[in-house]
Amino acid sequence: MTYFKTLLTAMSFLVALNGATHAAEEWGLPDEKVTRFEAKVVDILCELTGDCPKACGAGKRQLGLLNDANKLILPTKNSVIFAGAAAELIDFCNEKVIADGLLTTNRGHTIFALQFVRKAPDGPWRGANRFLPKWAAANGVDPKSDTVEEWYLHDPAIKAELAANGKLGLGLAADKEYEARQ
Amino acid sequence: MKKGVLFAIAALVSAAMAAPATAATGQRIKITGEIIDTWCYITEIMYAEGTAHHQCAMWCAAGGIPVGILADDGQVYMVFKLEGDATSVANPAILKIQTHRVTVDGEVYERDGIQYLVVNQVVDDSGIVKQTHEDYGIQPFGN
Repeated sequence: MTYFKTLLTAMSFLVALNGATHAAEEWGLPDEKVTRFEAKVVDILCELTGDCPKACGAGKRQLGLLNDANKLILPTKNSVIFAGAAAELIDFCNEKVIADGLLTTNRGHTIFALQFVRKAPDGPWRGANRFLPKWAAANGVDPKSDTVEEWYLHDPAIKAELAANGKLGLGLAADKEYEARQ
Repeated sequence: MKKGVLFAIAALVSAAMAAPATAATGQRIKITGEIIDTWCYITEIMYAEGTAHHQCAMWCAAGGIPVGILADDGQVYMVFKLEGDATSVANPAILKIQTHRVTVDGEVYERDGIQYLVVNQVVDDSGIVKQTHEDYGIQPFGN
């Protein structure tokens, strides 16, 4: 839990910076390596199977970073709490970027947390937090409101699922029974 | 007419440039395991299995973090296609089965240490089986 709080603080700091500085922050992840590399943004399903829709799937597909050694790196996270990296990379579909962030290796997997990105070789840096204004626009919310910072508490799809099946996923009665004992 | 032909050629060239040179054939596989959030599980930033992590897993799936299947042998498979639906960012169909124990048929593509899974069919869905909240509370905030 303390581990998560430290990470949360670091991520909040990055969101506040909004790209003002461009060097990845350590988050204290397992076998963490601060990393900056050049890579092509690819639609991973296209790369693997040859199923290649227009515009890398227009935001509906996970995107990968194919580096100059032809290694496919999976960006799993951005700088926004509970959000992934596809929203940050879709603008660079099939283009080369400089990605800045953290490689972490644990449980036999190496994944990447994107903190900053720019079009190679010298485009302007962006903080990896564009998920928030995109979420705000998609949900008709003022992008500067507190609601956006806690997007996960206000997302209609999540609210509908949790309202139907509860936080534990076992039904509302199970939530009520559990919470009554806390 | 000429414009149409030129447009078609340009579209074909564009598609050819976007398509990978090394698309591979997947390996047929049948897996049983739990639908999980891959970020929390792989990084171990919190306990990330079963009912204790269900709410957080919903947040992460809706936020576009890759969803996976934690197979009974401990291997994580990243789900990149589900029964013909290639939406792998915030797929509403995934939200419906998050944390469920499932058996799936599909193809797996291994690339640079990651197992990417195309699910052709969910053969069995046992719902949420792993009840972990008594031991781990509700992750990560406790409510």
